[in-house]
Amino acid sequence: MTFDPTRLAFIALSAMAVVSAFRVVTAKKLMHAALWLGLTFLMLAGVFLVMGAEFLAAAQVLVYVGAVTTIILFGIMLSEAAELRGRTEAAAAAAESPAFFRRVVLPVVAVVAFVGIMALVYTRTAWPVTVSPAEEDMTRIIGRALFTDFVVPFELAAVLLLVALVGAIVVSVRDDGRKEQG
Amino acid sequence: MGIPLTYPLTLAAVLFGIGLYGALTQRNAIRILMGVELMLNAVNINLLAFGNAVDGAAATGQVFALFVMTVSAAEVALALAIILLLAKRRKHIDIERVNLLRW
Repeated sequence: MTFDPTRLAFIALSAMAVVSAFRVVTAKKLMHAALWLGLTFLMLAGVFLVMGAEFLAAAQVLVYVGAVTTIILFGIMLSEAAELRGRTEAAAAAAESPAFFRRVVLPVVAVVAFVGIMALVYTRTAWPVTVSPAEEDMTRIIGRALFTDFVVPFELAAVLLLVALVGAIVVSVRDDGRKEQG
Repeated sequence: MGIPLTYPLTLAAVLFGIGLYGALTQRNAIRILMGVELMLNAVNINLLAFGNAVDGAAATGQVFALFVMTVSAAEVALALAIILLLAKRRKHIDIERVNLLRW
């Protein structure tokens, strides 16, 4: 066990990422969970950086920390305002409904099974010894790959983002105040 | 020097497990969305680790992770639009009670 600073940085960042991810799931308040999620994304950007993916780390900060967390925060603020106005007895009763098996036991079984299988696969396979990033400028390689080998998925991603943008606007704006029953 | 492949794989498995647990146990639609986001990030770590280990010079794993990021950004935007619509119409975002299409 040598004291490799890269390795130490990786371990520290991933430990913080795991702790904040755990807090995302366990935090009582939704707003706190969203902020912990932002911290998780930031730590994972650090992990990407340590693993030699500078461009991916920058994209992670821009897309996840910047955009996704902000959108989720806005979603929480807008939806909780609507929720608080319409809080009823039925909602309180539904929140108390005993579904212990479905809500706790089955998810725990699924998660333990998944992580167990993954650990089994990871430990039984002979992997290459180390993760070694390339020597050349990574951003340049990614740019070249995006515009040569992956140009079709790249353009499709552009179309996908446009469709998602239009779709989000259409879904959230075109609502003429009709009340749904139930 | 460098990071052994098992480190990022372990981190990704743990993060995916946490995200999966969150997505399965929560009733609030936004919390489920957060769990899904955690899972997507775990997958990105795996893509990056395997890409570096198998073919570090070509950066294919990083390009894949970039596409995953794009798709998940689009997914979050649409999901939150739907959640907002749900909150506006039904005054709650509890997916247990969104059962209009249930048998």
